[in-house]
Amino acid sequence: MSADGSMLRLEDVHKRFGRLEVLRGIDLELPKGEVVCVLGPSGSGKSTLLRCINLLEPPEQGRIILEGQDICGTEAAEDIDYVRRRVGIVFQQFNLFPHKSAVENVSLAQEKVLERSPREAREKGKALLERVGLADKLDEFPDRLSGGQQQRVAIARALAMDPHVMLFDEVTSALDPELVKEVLDVMRELASEGMTMIVVTHELGFAREVAHRVVFMDDGSIVEEGDPGQVLENPREERTKQFLGLVLEH
Amino acid sequence: MDFIFNYYFDFKNYVFADGHFNDLMAGFWYTIKLSVISGLLGLAWGLVLAVLRQTRSRVLAPVRWLTIAYIDIFRGIPLLLVLLLVSGVSVFGAPIGGEILPRGLVSPTWLGQPSPFWYGILALAITYGAYMAEVYRAGIEAVPGGQMEAARSLGMSHGQAMRFVIVPQAVRKVIPPLLNDFIALMKDTSLVAFIGLVELTQAGRDVQAETYNGSALVFGAILYLILTIPLARLVDWLIRREQQRTQRGGAPSAGAEPPKLTTPPGAPAGGPV
Repeated sequence: MSADGSMLRLEDVHKRFGRLEVLRGIDLELPKGEVVCVLGPSGSGKSTLLRCINLLEPPEQGRIILEGQDICGTEAAEDIDYVRRRVGIVFQQFNLFPHKSAVENVSLAQEKVLERSPREAREKGKALLERVGLADKLDEFPDRLSGGQQQRVAIARALAMDPHVMLFDEVTSALDPELVKEVLDVMRELASEGMTMIVVTHELGFAREVAHRVVFMDDGSIVEEGDPGQVLENPREERTKQFLGLVLEH
Repeated sequence: MDFIFNYYFDFKNYVFADGHFNDLMAGFWYTIKLSVISGLLGLAWGLVLAVLRQTRSRVLAPVRWLTIAYIDIFRGIPLLLVLLLVSGVSVFGAPIGGEILPRGLVSPTWLGQPSPFWYGILALAITYGAYMAEVYRAGIEAVPGGQMEAARSLGMSHGQAMRFVIVPQAVRKVIPPLLNDFIALMKDTSLVAFIGLVELTQAGRDVQAETYNGSALVFGAILYLILTIPLARLVDWLIRREQQRTQRGGAPSAGAEPPKLTTPPGAPAGGPV
C-alpha cells in the first residue's frame, strides 16, 4: 500500500500486437476499495487493459504501479508471481479446470502457489464456495454446473489467492440472461465489502449502481471518465453518447 | 481345399505336438513382456519429449530444438534399422562399444533376459516414444489456451500449469490414439526376431521351418489377435463414450465455445447418459 492510498496506478500504458496499437497511452488511478467499471465497444482495448495489469500481456511502454511498486518490465518469474498473487482475474469464458471438482478448482493454486496444506486449502475453498452460494456444489465437476454457477466458482477461485485487486473481464457476457443476476450479485457483495475492482462490462445497470467511477474506452484510449451518473446520463463526449445510445437502443 | 486346412489349420499335428505349443507360448510370453515394458517406457518417454517440446522459455530453446530433431529422426527411420543400430552386430559378435563399456551394459542380460530382449525394449521405446510424443502434443495443443491463462493468472508457473492443469487434460483426450500406437507396437515386437529373439513370430517360423507346415504361424496370428482385438474394441468404446459426453454438451468450461446450461438448476444429478 502506497502512502497516497492508491492501490493501482497506470501511467501512459501502451500495448501493441505487431503493427496494431491496442492501447495508446492509458492513465488510470484506482484508490483502495474503489470499483471502476470500464465500458466501450469491442476491440476498444478493455480486455487487453486487464490482461496488461496482471501481466498476461506485458505492456511495452508506460508504468503500472501496484501498491507503490512499478510492475512493468518485470521479467523475473518471482516478480510476475508477486503480481498475480495480488491481482485476481475472472474471464468471460470462466476457464475452470474441467478435470477438477468445484472445490478442487478453488484449492489447487492455494496448494501449489501459496503452499497451503490440502486441508487448509479445502476449508478455504469450502468457505468461499459457500460465500458465492454454492455450498451444495463442492464436489460437482464443471460440466455439471450451469454457466452462472461456473462463473461463481471462477470468482471463488480467484478470491482464494487473497488478491488485493480483482479484475473482471466481461464475466457475464457468455451467460444466459437469467443467470447474469446471480453473478452480478456476488460481485455487488464483493464491492460492498470493500474489494478494489476493475470491471469490464456491458451491464450499464450494474455500473450505475455499483461503480464509484466509470471509464469509457474507445480505440485504445480513455475517452471519458467520471462518476457513473455523469458519464452514463450526461456524457460529455460525442463518442460516448453514440455508444450509450447504441447500447440502450436494444 | 484340403491342402488349405492341412497347411494352415492343422493345429492338432503341428501345434499341439512335439512340444511346439510350449515353444510358441514361450515366444508369446516374450511378445507380451516386450509389449508391456517397452509400451510403458514409450508412454513415459513420449510424455517427457512432448513436455520438453512445449517449453516456452528462451533458455530452454536448445532443448526444444533437440527434442524436435529427435522426434523427426525417430519417426522418420524404420524401427528395424533402429533395432540393428542399438544392437550393433551383437548377433554375430561383440556389439558396438563392447571393448570400452562394461559387458553388462553393452550386452545386458538383466533379470535373466537375453540381451536381444533388452535391445528390443530400447529400440521400441526410442521409436514409439517419438510417435507417442506427437500424440501427446496433439492433446496438449487441443487444451484451450484459456486453461493455461487461468492457471498462470492464479500465480502458477508454466511448469506447474503443465503438470496440474494441461497435461492431465491432454492425457485424457489422447488415451484412444495412444492405445492405437500400443497396438502397433505390439505387432512391431515381431521385428525383434531380426536380432535373435525367439518371440511369437519367430517361434512360429521355427516350427514352420522344422515341419514344413504353416499352422503354427496361423496359431501365432490368433494369439496376436487375442491381444489386439480387445484393445481395438476398447479404443472404439472410449471414443464413442467421449463423443456422447461432448454431444451431451459436456465440459463447456473448456472455454472454446460459449457455455450452455447443461443441467437445469435443481435437476436431479446423474442425467441421461
